[in-house]
Amino acid sequence: MLEEASLLEAFKSDEPSQALSVLFERYADPIYRLALGLLRDPQAAEDIVQETFLAALVHRHQFEGRSKIGTWLYRIAYNASRDRIRKKKEELLPNEEIEDDDPNPMPMPKQLIAWNWSPEALVTDEEAKQELQKAIQSLPSSLKAVFLLRDVEELSTEETAEALGISPGAVKVRLHRARLALRERLSSYFAERISGAN
Amino acid sequence: MTCEEVVNILSDYIENCLDEALTIEVRAHLETCPRCHILLDTTEKMIAFCRKCSKQTIPSEHRQRILSQLQEELEQRQKLL
Repeated sequence: MLEEASLLEAFKSDEPSQALSVLFERYADPIYRLALGLLRDPQAAEDIVQETFLAALVHRHQFEGRSKIGTWLYRIAYNASRDRIRKKKEELLPNEEIEDDDPNPMPMPKQLIAWNWSPEALVTDEEAKQELQKAIQSLPSSLKAVFLLRDVEELSTEETAEALGISPGAVKVRLHRARLALRERLSSYFAERISGAN
Repeated sequence: MTCEEVVNILSDYIENCLDEALTIEVRAHLETCPRCHILLDTTEKMIAFCRKCSKQTIPSEHRQRILSQLQEELEQRQKLL
């Protein structure tokens, strides 16, 4: 596997074709998942992948390498996705702003029932998987982006902060809110499932 | 330590980001509080479930098409230089 520094050097050279293929292989799917999570549209998510790598090619000489290449690519993809969300919202709801941090205190969990299923068993449970996707989609965009990068793509707090252009503290708060919200929603679903089975 | 305090720092506890003294306090609370124990267990299961189920990929034929278009675009740009 090409090291980060060699990969960046190759990508910034006059012959970046091979480096482009390596970067695409490494980051196309994670970028697709981020865009798909934010836009809920597979075609739009594929467009974001293409736009991201094209923008990276065009602007590669301006990238100074202060962050990882992957973090830079996530940032391009996130900004492109946000632009699309913003345009869509302008069409539908002219005055609605993109969600920002909720100033309210952390919500206390209400649904506290044990989950009798392991994550491994849930992977084969189509209904639970659908519920999980609905729960992720129901998150505000600002929480969803943090959750997808931190808990699905497993970026660090610092990498996520750089990719989204927010502080590490904001990443931590948003991640915690996202986790509590998802856990609550899935717990309600499992509680209904248990009561339906009895 | 109260349940509310545990809720507020649960993610830091999961990430092992708390200092040793706080970690011990949370652990002691979890041993005696079944509700917070469930909260921790279900949060960790939710994260693991998400990691396992949210790995969608670009359909392979679309993926190849996007990469080919990018390589073509690169070639065009290099010809112009």
